[in-house]
Amino acid sequence: MIDVSAYLGHFAYRQLRHNTGSSLVRLMDRFGIARAVVSSAASITYRSPQSGNEEVAAEVEAHRARLIPFAVLSPAYAGWEDDLKICQEQFGMRGVRLYPNWHNYKLQDPRCRNLVNAATERGMTVSIPVRVEDRRQQGWLIDIPDVELSEITDLIRACPKARFIIQNASGVAGSALGRRDNGLPENYAFDIARMSVEFGNEIGNLLAILGEDRLLFGTAMPFHYPGLPLAKLDMLKASSAVKEKIRSGNAERWLGVQAQQ
Amino acid sequence: MANSGLGQISRRSFGVCLGAAGAAVPLAAAPAPKKVKVIDAHSHLANHSNPNWATADRQLIDAADALGIDQLICSILTPQRPALPTGFRQCNDWVAEAMARYPGRILGYCFVNPGFAEEARDEVTRCIEKLGFVGVKLYNDYVATEPVVRPIIEQCIRLRIPILHHAGHTYWLNASQPRISDGGTFAEVAKQYPEAMIICAHIAGGGDWEWTVKALRNAPSVFIDTSGSVPDEGTVEMAVKVLGADRVLFGCDMSMTASVGRIRSAELSTVDRNKILSGNIERILSLRRA
Repeated sequence: MIDVSAYLGHFAYRQLRHNTGSSLVRLMDRFGIARAVVSSAASITYRSPQSGNEEVAAEVEAHRARLIPFAVLSPAYAGWEDDLKICQEQFGMRGVRLYPNWHNYKLQDPRCRNLVNAATERGMTVSIPVRVEDRRQQGWLIDIPDVELSEITDLIRACPKARFIIQNASGVAGSALGRRDNGLPENYAFDIARMSVEFGNEIGNLLAILGEDRLLFGTAMPFHYPGLPLAKLDMLKASSAVKEKIRSGNAERWLGVQAQQ
Repeated sequence: MANSGLGQISRRSFGVCLGAAGAAVPLAAAPAPKKVKVIDAHSHLANHSNPNWATADRQLIDAADALGIDQLICSILTPQRPALPTGFRQCNDWVAEAMARYPGRILGYCFVNPGFAEEARDEVTRCIEKLGFVGVKLYNDYVATEPVVRPIIEQCIRLRIPILHHAGHTYWLNASQPRISDGGTFAEVAKQYPEAMIICAHIAGGGDWEWTVKALRNAPSVFIDTSGSVPDEGTVEMAVKVLGADRVLFGCDMSMTASVGRIRSAELSTVDRNKILSGNIERILSLRRA
């Protein structure tokens, strides 16, 4: 399995366990996860996210075969162009994660499109976590809403050459992103972390609408328990071939990596 | 490393849970699995104002089948707040019908609004003594410490039944639930009524779960259920560490895969896991039967 939605490091508002390279790999072993895309949890709240990218680069060094680093960048923060170059060329990061609501910008911001286009020119994937924490959990200092799916839709439309992974989303099947013939480029995929199977069956509906190539396995570990999306896959009424695509095949193609190195 | 508890839960009794740790512990190498009963201590059936209620209830049972949940303790809430006596009686009648439709599979919580003192008292009596319900469900009509709730608490103590109480602790005004209770509320109630068996609902769907667990540390008669959609790693482990495994009950509150995934993932001993999956709630329910 390839987990497209994992993290390393500390988070400002809650202690995370299994958040070092070694401990995350042990957690992955327990759940049969071969490789995981990781980015800095600290960069979500650092003013300069590059500091967190440096931490992740150091942490993954001993686990390059298992952990695939992504950068966290903000187009609203000075020097992101330099940081992007360093992240890709020196740190070997294969994608960029964006947190518009935590970093105080809009996805429609021209600076954001510039960042997405710059990452795309470098062959990097752009990942957008819709939610970091459930809003009910958030402490007294913050009240950060989920990223609106309509904002993501506009960005996808504006950046047809980019390759997007949308993390921790739900309600997709009721949005333009989950509609057939929506006029959007087929350059986006979703992780299943927060999608339902038991009621409404969002995963099944998206398989029917978007096809079997655009759903990915993602846990958001160690923020989240890894077993939740595994339980969803267990319940999903789909062929073993389709489940295998969700577990790893789609991520292999989307990220240009192999599940086993 | 493999989770020590997973190997003891059979596919039959708890879905395909071994898939979670399958790479680490091949099933063939494990000892013969021992069946562990799984009881969802916090579930709901569909209100019949929903024209698709029968389908929704069937989906609930299908999900329970797929995930290896043996029994579900259910209530139905009125859509309107405050709940009126005609409404909560109707809801409880529907639960009783479901108990007959799915015998042994669905158990009932009697939902009442304590603000209607006489009607609530009579309804609890009817549901427990005539219809075979196993507990009471209270929502957010009143904070649990309000005097109007005391007669229901005292009645449940006499009947030796638990109260599953809606709860949440958030830092942002929840305008739709001005009278929501939280772990601190239940700790206060427990001081006054240490014999009461209160279940603090959905630790994984009631805001800051770390706050809730800490608020209940010194309230040994209060239980928590593990239900909810919030997938935060470490929730169950912290509850067990702070409260002890004897006070933690497995529940889903309709977030079936999230709640099953949560308990499958949690690092627990086999003994503790089995207590959470069914042992604790069976112990609570046995007090009434005794």
